[in-house]
Amino acid sequence: MSVVAAGAHTVSPAARIPLAGEAIHLAGLTKRFVVRRSLGAALRQPFLRQWSPALVDISCTIEDGEFFGLLGPNGAGKTTLFKVLATLVLPDGGSAAVGGYDVIRQANQVRKILAPVITDDRSLYWRLTARENLELYARLQDLPEEAGRRRVSELLDAVGLCDAGSKMVGAFSSGMKQRLLIARALVARPRILLLDEPTRSLDPLSARTFRAFLREEISGRQGCTVLLATHNTEEALELCGRVGVLHQGKLLAVGSAADLIRQMGSERYRLWTRCPVPGSLAALEREGVVDGIVSQPDAEGWTRTEMDVAGGLEGAAKVIDALGRAGASVGRFESVPRTLADLIEGIIDRRRRSSDA
Amino acid sequence: MRRMLALVRASWLTAASYRLNMLVSLVSLLMMVIPVYFVAGALQPVMADSIAGQGGEYFGFLLVGIITLMFLTTAVTSLPTALGSSIASGTFEALLGTRARLGEIVAGTVGYAFIWTAVRALLLLVVGLALGAPLMGERSPAALLILGLIILAYIPFGLLAAAGVLAFKTSGSLPAAVLTVSGLLGGVYYPTQVIPSWLQDLSMAVPLTYGLRALRAVVLEGGSLRASAPDLAVLSGFALALFGLSLYVFTLAVRHAKGSGTLAQY
Repeated sequence: MSVVAAGAHTVSPAARIPLAGEAIHLAGLTKRFVVRRSLGAALRQPFLRQWSPALVDISCTIEDGEFFGLLGPNGAGKTTLFKVLATLVLPDGGSAAVGGYDVIRQANQVRKILAPVITDDRSLYWRLTARENLELYARLQDLPEEAGRRRVSELLDAVGLCDAGSKMVGAFSSGMKQRLLIARALVARPRILLLDEPTRSLDPLSARTFRAFLREEISGRQGCTVLLATHNTEEALELCGRVGVLHQGKLLAVGSAADLIRQMGSERYRLWTRCPVPGSLAALEREGVVDGIVSQPDAEGWTRTEMDVAGGLEGAAKVIDALGRAGASVGRFESVPRTLADLIEGIIDRRRRSSDA
Repeated sequence: MRRMLALVRASWLTAASYRLNMLVSLVSLLMMVIPVYFVAGALQPVMADSIAGQGGEYFGFLLVGIITLMFLTTAVTSLPTALGSSIASGTFEALLGTRARLGEIVAGTVGYAFIWTAVRALLLLVVGLALGAPLMGERSPAALLILGLIILAYIPFGLLAAAGVLAFKTSGSLPAAVLTVSGLLGGVYYPTQVIPSWLQDLSMAVPLTYGLRALRAVVLEGGSLRASAPDLAVLSGFALALFGLSLYVFTLAVRHAKGSGTLAQY
C-alpha cells in the first residue's frame, strides 16, 4: 500500500497567511495537572490537591519551515505541549506564541495558521465520504464554495485518495484514514502542522512511505513548519532537522541528530571479526575512546563485539586504525541505532556528570 | 452561520445514511398518534370541563402538549448527548482545531436535531389535523413565536447539562429531572388545575406551564398574543434569566476543561 499515489499532483502552497514572528516560540512554558485521587482519599482530605507536572519550564524556538521532532516516551508531555499550541489546553505559566500570536489571548489567529493532525481516525465522519469530510472542513475553515471544492480535489489527489473520494470513510483501511486525516489538516493551507505519532497505526512499509510523503510533500513542497511528536528515535532522527528530547515534562536537549548523539557522549558500534579483539582495543579503552566492550562468538566462527565509541567519526576512525594495526580480520563494522531509552539515559547521564563536575 | 450550516449538513448526511432508522422513526411516530387519538376520545367526557378554557377538545389539547414536549426533549437532551458522543469520537477536538467558534460548533452540532424534531412535529400535526384535531392554522405565526420562546426557555437546561459533560464528563440526571418535572407539572397531558394545590404552586416554577397555557390559548381558542401577555412575560423572564445563567456556567465549564486538559476527553 502506498501513501502517495504514483504521479500524485502536488498541492499549490499559494495564499498562505504570513506569520507575525517565529513559527513557534516557547518561554518558560509550564503546565501541571491535578492528580486524580480515589474517592476514599478525596473524602478523607477533601481540600488536598496533588499536582503532576506535565510541562516544566519549556523554552524553545522553532523557525518557519523547520521540521522539528519532539521525542519522548509516553507521558513525557508531548501531547500536552501540542494541545497548548492548538489552544485546547491553557498553560499555567510562561508563554507560547505561534507565528507571533499568543495561544491564550490570540487563539483565533493561532487556529488560522496552525493545524493539529488528530491521528485518531474516529474523529472522521465515518458515514460520510472522503470528499464530504473534506468539504465540511473547507466550509469550517472559511474557504469559498468553489475554491473549497478545488482544494478538496487537489488534496485528495495529493494524498492518493482521488479514486476513493466518493467512498464512505468507514470502508477505508487504516492507512487511507491516516492520509485523509492529513488532508483534512491541510485544507486551510496551515503554516504549521502538528503531528502526534502519525505512524502509530501504520504497518512498517506504509509508515516508511508516509514519512517520505511528510518530508517531500508537506515539508518540502508545501513548506509547512512541521512538529512531529514521536517515541520512535529512528523516525525523529530520519525526518527532523532538529529534535527536542522531552522527558517527564522537561526539555532535556534540543539539537540536530548529530548534536544529540554528541550530547550523549558516544555512539554504539558493532564489529564482526574472525577472532576476539579486546586486546587490540585496550589502548583506545585507556584513552577513553572506547568503553563498554562486550564480545560474543557466534555460530559461524565470527566474534561479535559491541562498544561505545566517543568522539564521533574521529573515534570510529581510531578504532578502524587500531584493528588494522592489529591485523584483525574485520567482516563488518557498523553503527548501532540508539533507542529512545538509550538517548534519554545518555543525555541524563551527561547532564549529571557535567553538573557534578 | 455558514460554518453552523456545514455542521448541520454533515449531521443530515450522517443521519440520511441510516435510511431504515429514519423510516422506522417516522412510522413509529405515526403509530403513536392512533392510540393517542382513541385514548383522547375515551377520556373526552372526563376531561371536557377541566380543559374548557383551553379548547375543550382533549385530542387537540394532547397533541399540542406532545408536540411541545418533543421540542423540549430536543432542547434539553440533544446538546449534552451530541457533545458527549462528539468528544468520545474525537470529532469535537478536530472541530475545535478549526476556525469555527465554540458557539458555532455547539449550534451546528444540535441544529439538525431541531430540524428533525420539526419534521416529526409537522408530520404529527398533519396526521392530527387529518384525524380532526381542532387546531387553528391561521394562528400559526403566533404559535411558532410562543413555541420558540418555550424552546429558548429550555435550551439553557441543555447548556447546563452540556457544561456538566465538559466539566465532569456527565450531565448527571439533570435532563431527565427537567423533562420529568416539566412533563408532570407543566400541563402536557392534563391541565395544571387538576393537580393538587401544593403541586400547582410548584408548577408555577415550571416555564412550560406558562408556555403551554399561552400556546393552547392561541391555537385551540384563537386567542391573541396580547391576551396571553402575562404568561409570555413570565416565560420570557425565565428564558432571559436561565440563558444568562447557563451561558455563564458553560463558559466556566469550558475554562475549567481547558485548564484541566479535559476539553476533548470523555
